[in-house]
Formats: sequence, C-alpha cells, structure tokens
Amino acid sequence: MFWNITLTLLSGLCTTIKIFLLTLLFSLPLGLVIAFGSMSRLKPLRWLCNTVVWIIRGTPLMLQLIAFMYIPGIIGHNIWPSGDTGRMMATVVAFSINYACYFSVIYRGGIQGVPIGQREAGEVLGMTKRQIFFEITLLQMIKRIVPPMSNEIITLVKDTSLARVIAVYELTFTGYSYMKSSGLVWPLFYTGVFYLLFVGILTILFNYIERRLDYFR
Amino acid sequence: MSILEVSHIEKHFGATKVLNDISFSLEKGQALSIIGSSGSGKTTLLRCLNFLETPDGGTISINNNVIFDAADPSTQQEKEIRSKRLHFGLVFQNFNLFPQYTALQNVTLARELLAKERGSESKADIEAAGRELLAQMGLADRANHYPHQLSGGQQQRVAIARALALHPDILCFDEPTSALDPELTGEVLRVIRNLAEQKTTMIIVTHEMAFARDVADQVIFMDGGLIVEQGDPHEVIDHPKEERTRQFLARYAEN
Repeated sequence: MFWNITLTLLSGLCTTIKIFLLTLLFSLPLGLVIAFGSMSRLKPLRWLCNTVVWIIRGTPLMLQLIAFMYIPGIIGHNIWPSGDTGRMMATVVAFSINYACYFSVIYRGGIQGVPIGQREAGEVLGMTKRQIFFEITLLQMIKRIVPPMSNEIITLVKDTSLARVIAVYELTFTGYSYMKSSGLVWPLFYTGVFYLLFVGILTILFNYIERRLDYFR
Repeated sequence: MSILEVSHIEKHFGATKVLNDISFSLEKGQALSIIGSSGSGKTTLLRCLNFLETPDGGTISINNNVIFDAADPSTQQEKEIRSKRLHFGLVFQNFNLFPQYTALQNVTLARELLAKERGSESKADIEAAGRELLAQMGLADRANHYPHQLSGGQQQRVAIARALALHPDILCFDEPTSALDPELTGEVLRVIRNLAEQKTTMIIVTHEMAFARDVADQVIFMDGGLIVEQGDPHEVIDHPKEERTRQFLARYAEN
C-alpha cells in the first residue's frame, strides 16, 4: 500500500512541478517587463503597470484562479481547451501573472539598489543603455535579489496547491483524496514530506547561487 | 590651437543657477585645475562636459567642432552623444568600478564592447593594452583582483586606467582623492602627476591646492557657479587678485 500511495503522490507531484516550472518560465521574464514598465518615463505606462500590480497583489490568488478559469466561459467565449489541458493552462496563466507582479517589485528594488554611479560610469565609457543593463546592472541586481526571490519561489511551491480549486490534481489534492478514501491520516503527512524535499532542494540551489555570487561585493 | 573651447555654459537645477556663463579653453597637452568650495559648480561643470548633465545654455567645441550647442537640439541626440562623450574620460570621486569584474576586465570591458560593434581590435590586443595600462599605474600584479580586494588608492588607479583605455582627448578628474584615506592620496596624485608629465590633456577638480599649483598649467577658481578668477596657477593660488579667491584660500590654509 505504501508503494501505491507513493505512486499516486508522485503523479500529483508531477503536476505540481509542471505548474511550478511553467510559472517560473513565464513569470520571471514577464516580471522584468512589468518592472521596466513601472520605472518607465511614460506616465501612462507607469500608471498601468502599477495598477495591474496593485490589483493582482491586492486580491487572493485563489480568486484569480477561479476568475481566469471560469470568466471566459461565462461571458460566452471560452478560451481554454476542454479537460485537464484547459485547466492546466488557466492555472499557469493565473500563476504567471500573479507571480510576475510580485517579482516585478523585487526586480525594481534590485535595479534601483544598484548605485547610480555604476550607470554613469558605463555611460561615460560610451556604453549603450542595453549594454549597461546587461553587462553591468544585471548581475549586481541578481546578487541583490536572490534572498527575496528565494522566499517568493519557495512560496510558489506551496501555492501550487491552490490549483485544486479548479480541479487540477496536484500533490495536495492527491494526498487529500487518499486520506478521504482510505480513512488514513499518515498519507497527508507523507504529502508534506514531498513538499519539504522539494523546498529542501531549492534551498540548496539558492545557497549555491548565493555562494557563486559571493566573489564580488 | 585649443583642443577644448567652452563658451557661456549655463546650468540651472530648478530655480538655482549652478553654472553661470562659464567660458574657458584648454590647449592640447595642458592640465587645468578647477578649485573652489563645495557647491561652487565644479563637479556639475565636469558632468556637463561628459554629457551626464545637459547644459541649458552655451556651446562646447573640440578641435573647433561644436559638439554641443544648447540652442541646437541636433547636437543633443542620444546616438551621437555616445560617440561624442568618448572625447572625454571621467574619473569619479567614488571610483565607480564595476564590482563583478576584475581590475583588468574593468579596464577592457568598454573597449571590447566597442570593438565588437566596430570589429576593429582583437580581444587579445585589448587585453594586452589593458595590462600595459595597469602596469603604468603600478598595478601589474593586481590585474586579476576584484575591486573589493583593492585599497581605495588602488581602486582609483584602476579607474584611471579604465578611463585611459578609450584614449580620450581630455581626461577629467572629479576630486579623485576626496574619498581616500589621507595616506592613500599620494599614490593617486603621483599617477596624475606622471600623466601630466606625459602631456595628457586633463581637467582636474581638486581640493589639493599644492597639487593643483604644481601640476596645472592653468587654474580656474569657481564660486557660486561663476568663474571668479583664472590664469597661471602661481598667480591664482599664490597671488590672487580677487577678494573671494583670497577668502577661499585663507579658509583653506586654516584647515
């Protein structure tokens, strides 16, 4: 039976990892775009970005999940394919937008934390804005944002469990179903162990990145 | 013929006039020192020359070419400013070295990026030139150190090498020793002195009066955004004509 449960939970874990990786794939770059938008010289763009961030950070992710999943169908034009694929897509879209907004604020802090003299030194040396960002600012920003980003990314691991509200069979959902059907308590704790291992691996990864960036100050 | 001609530069920050009708010229191979109390506009003037600030009035010419004219927006286009600012090098008060790059990489980075665009020099050539510059600064053995592993004086010398790497026509120093511990100023001043002996065209904003007098061919004293007095360093510093210059130098001597 232990083996059976393990297999079921592993299939749930697969879904969890899928949501996790796809969300990072889209939200990490999207967050940077929003960060630039919120620092733009164009006032309307700045306003738009700040408003989106306010709305997304100001409402529960669970509410956003439900909204993304069902509103298109209710207003008469369902954009999602039917079945698991559609639910997965809605989940990834909701998560990506939600996390991009949180990331954008961290990015902005990281960029603004790089002393202005760094940019000026690049300008005086005839570098373009693009070169200054990629050759000078970016790595210094990354070094600054690793600790807050690790917080956010670890939260994402556990937030994936919210996807069950639109019937995505992720890890918590599988653990919960097993508990209900078997009347056993320990599968739920066993589920927790999966999360702990997942986050444990991420923690090791983040520590590694921090160490790798330790060579400069 | 003067290499640099600055005429009637004006700069306001809001209602405050930080630069008021600044005009001077500089001959090739000469060193110009700018002295004056904090807030007199010295740093803003250097920042205008390096296009970090845009003057509200006046013109800047290099070799009789007008490279900036406040009245002519076509001289202020982003794209051209990039190549124009290469006429000038700037050494900052706080060094502003790039922390994630070694001393050598700090010196070569900009030139490598330029070479990539123009396809002019090989990486090996640029690196050799960078090592040569560091050696000239007495830092041959520090090429692979990161900025945080260097003392302030060493960091500033790397910054000087970095500015020289692009062969600017005019090298500007913004209080190059003000952020240094007193015992470290000597090594930086020595390097600048050597550059002066090699006839590097320089503008040096400094609080080191004795140094300004010894190294410069010309001194400008600024106060309240105005040039109060300019001329031969021995005249201006030892026998100032203007009351304000005398007061400044007296205050300076007290300290």
